[in-house]
Amino acid sequence: MSAKLTAKERMARLLAVIPWVVEQDGALIDEISERFDYPRPQLVSDLTDVVLFVGVHPFTPDSLIEVDITDDRVQIRYADWFSQPLRLTPEEGARLLTAGRSVLNLGGDQTDDAGHGDDDTEDNVASPLLRALAKLGMALGEGADRAVDVRLGDAPEAILDTLRGAVAAGTQVELDYYTYGRDQLTSRTVDPARVFSDHGNWYLHGYCHRAEAERVFRVDRIRDATATGEPIVHALDAPGASFTPSGDDPRISLRLPADQSWVIEHYPTEDVVTNADGSIDVTMAVTAIPWLERLLLRLGPSTEILDAPAPLDPNLVGAAAQRILQRYKP
Amino acid sequence: MDKLERLLNLAAALLHADRPLTADDLKDRIGGYPEAKASFRRAFERDKDDLRAMGLPIRVESVPGADPPIDGYRMRRHEYSGSELRLEPDELAALHLATNLVRLDGADDGIRKLGGSTGEAADELGYVPFDDALAVMIAAAADRRAVRFTYNDVDRTVEPWRLSFSRGHWYLAGWDQVREAERLYRVDRITGSVEAGEAATVDVGFVNDPGDLRGWELGDGDPVRARVRIDAVQAAHARHLLGAVEEQPDGGVIVELDVRNPEAFRSFVLSFLDHAEVLEPPELRQSVIDWLEACV
Repeated sequence: MSAKLTAKERMARLLAVIPWVVEQDGALIDEISERFDYPRPQLVSDLTDVVLFVGVHPFTPDSLIEVDITDDRVQIRYADWFSQPLRLTPEEGARLLTAGRSVLNLGGDQTDDAGHGDDDTEDNVASPLLRALAKLGMALGEGADRAVDVRLGDAPEAILDTLRGAVAAGTQVELDYYTYGRDQLTSRTVDPARVFSDHGNWYLHGYCHRAEAERVFRVDRIRDATATGEPIVHALDAPGASFTPSGDDPRISLRLPADQSWVIEHYPTEDVVTNADGSIDVTMAVTAIPWLERLLLRLGPSTEILDAPAPLDPNLVGAAAQRILQRYKP
Repeated sequence: MDKLERLLNLAAALLHADRPLTADDLKDRIGGYPEAKASFRRAFERDKDDLRAMGLPIRVESVPGADPPIDGYRMRRHEYSGSELRLEPDELAALHLATNLVRLDGADDGIRKLGGSTGEAADELGYVPFDDALAVMIAAAADRRAVRFTYNDVDRTVEPWRLSFSRGHWYLAGWDQVREAERLYRVDRITGSVEAGEAATVDVGFVNDPGDLRGWELGDGDPVRARVRIDAVQAAHARHLLGAVEEQPDGGVIVELDVRNPEAFRSFVLSFLDHAEVLEPPELRQSVIDWLEACV
């Protein structure tokens, strides 16, 4: 909450702050600041230097909003035009509906690893959420119940349960893990730190004893997970990113035609440059050769390799295509 | 005058008005606008757009008795405060917690209008990509309205039934008014903006979970049944991805796929590198060979 707000952001916040303060019959500056994500210095100066001068023609004292701040407590009077909260737009309602329904789809246990391990999670969260969504649905229209459905990831419930249970208990898990990029199935012992979803996949972040380093695993590639009950050795604080290339990985530079810009959204890229003709030059870290072969074969001949320094083979895609073509020769 | 003060005064004047006010009326009543006509007009239009983007329902009405006709502006109080959506503190806290657990771009504005963030915060459990086009389509599905957009270079008018996020992609299922048929669209392939339109004409139909569909199954044409052989080393991965497979004596498998999108099918088969081979039909087999030869 350190960034300065723009005039529009302050306007939107004030239209929410004013009716709330009026309804509360006064509120503390810090509370308003926290509730409405309004940096305190900006909030104070907006209330005293701006809102105080807001009103209607002819701007005589009796047609202005009255703001009083005494001992950090804000009172707002005569703000008749703004005393009711501004309506929620259908699009804002749609966002809240989507967030709420996503959480409902998770079921009961899933809120555990968000720090709500207590047994009454269901009572505290789900039922007020259901009531909130019912009210929101009434405001949005008769189709609201079926309008949106979110699946945060596809992975066997049993494996997710094992991982979440181990995170909550602080105990180790043994994984049979399929490394897609390298095309290998390996067994490893992991100190699990967090289970999270990103772009439709579940991930496990933890310390891997086989790699002797932090790792992020895709849960749908975990073939089997066993809780050993052994306490974890390495506790991790920072949340894991779903993919982190290492500085040592070789880099490849590609020129993508404009219709392949999806690559930038799907893979971590460095140095993205859009050219005058719409083509895009990107540099990417190569963590595994099979991964690069798959990507380049999918992109096909319209993608140009600008630079593939050793140890990469500049003819890697041609060689891979040849290898596959062998299967198709009589 | 600060832009914030001008926006607040403009909103107050529009709410206070008991008749439509012209742009010039508003300029006189509010102050803080540039004197020159053209720059005033630009600033006024921008302010109006900004207020509308926040959800302020500014109406355009013709000013009574004006000849020639002239546009006037005002806001009705009941439209400003909208429906009777009032959440209890625990309901607001639950909704706020949901927006913490599942992060969607732009969810905070709504929470603030309902009374601000309250209750406990929580670590994010997942991120779901979201944008204005999705919000428009979900709102239209809820309110049973059609939407217009461009997809595969064709303009479509679709009555949205359900927006589903599955396997990392958003899908729109609904009724295509022009084709008079149920259709499924990948939302990230919609180009340009999405506009809400008229009331829906067809009842909501049953929507299969699009997450059970794969890239090669998404297309407009009739499906073609393809057979693909996958080697033993990748068989476990194939079983995991596709479920039912034909087991082969050497540990490999043969899978059958219904293909409506040959490009997506090719990408899928090539993801197995030299551990997979398209067996049938000949034209899909040939298209993979042609692609590979172009890559050599």
